[in-house]
Amino acid sequence: MFFHIVLERNMQLHPRHFGPHLRDKLVSKLIKDVEGTCSGRHGFVVAITGVEDVGKGLIREGTGYVTFPVKYQCVVFRPFKGEILEAVVTMVNKMGFFAEAGPVQIFVSNHLIPDDMEFQSGDVPNYTTSDGSVKIQKDSEVRLKIIGTRVDATEIFCIGTIKDDFLGVISDPGAAV
Amino acid sequence: MAEDDYNDMDMGYEDEPPEPEIEEGAEEEPENNNEDAVDDVVGAEDDKEQEKTARPRKTSKYMTKYERARILGTRALQISMNAPVMVELEGETDPLEIAMKELRARKIPFTIRRYLPDGSYEDWGVDELIVEDSWKRQVGGG
Repeated sequence: MFFHIVLERNMQLHPRHFGPHLRDKLVSKLIKDVEGTCSGRHGFVVAITGVEDVGKGLIREGTGYVTFPVKYQCVVFRPFKGEILEAVVTMVNKMGFFAEAGPVQIFVSNHLIPDDMEFQSGDVPNYTTSDGSVKIQKDSEVRLKIIGTRVDATEIFCIGTIKDDFLGVISDPGAAV
Repeated sequence: MAEDDYNDMDMGYEDEPPEPEIEEGAEEEPENNNEDAVDDVVGAEDDKEQEKTARPRKTSKYMTKYERARILGTRALQISMNAPVMVELEGETDPLEIAMKELRARKIPFTIRRYLPDGSYEDWGVDELIVEDSWKRQVGGG
């Protein structure tokens, strides 16, 4: 799920960046540091949409650096248990397949793939129904449900299922051709 | 840092310290950006934490020698790290010398946060404090 929230961060700024453009430097450094990172608490920071407030700086004794508390608005993405996501399959093997929904890796075990789908090894490993009408291979788009998340300090990893109503392949790269 | 020192000085002065204009804001020695951006930060601190502004400050309006040393040291360090200089240079190259020149011109963009023994504090801009050298001569500013 996506959230638009306000976060705060203390930014250390080198003295060479002082001057009339201090604020711009601070914001560009913030974007460079924060965008694309993942915290267990808030999820992935997708984009910074605005800077609310730059507080007063505090001089770091001994280094000459100045620390500014910066409040910024950002869009974060955090997967939850039970959430339905659309994801792109990145790897298929006999244990299941991996899919990616933006920055999140999701693993779908073969226990959580409908029983009528069988693993087919070969050049393009895939899961196929017995009648061959549905095929999951690399680059397929699937709709899946998250049944478990593992949240580390700097990483989020999910376990998904497609063994439920309305879940499974939405578009198949093979079929399109 | 220099409690004893400015307690002495406190005895010494008769008239009230000047009214606090902006101060009593937040941090210790805020980097007030430079020329153009100064207004920006000052504006920001005006809005916040106004409640403390009402109380007059009671510490000495003289900069202690410890404060002077720390400010010159910190500022010289920043200048040595390529921070933009706030005064016109006339061939000076030594960061400490430039820092002294800035202090004389009252252009050092710091605020001193003086912590009192009870944990409260007062903020004084470097430009508000009277700077004396060790022979009690007033240096620059004024």
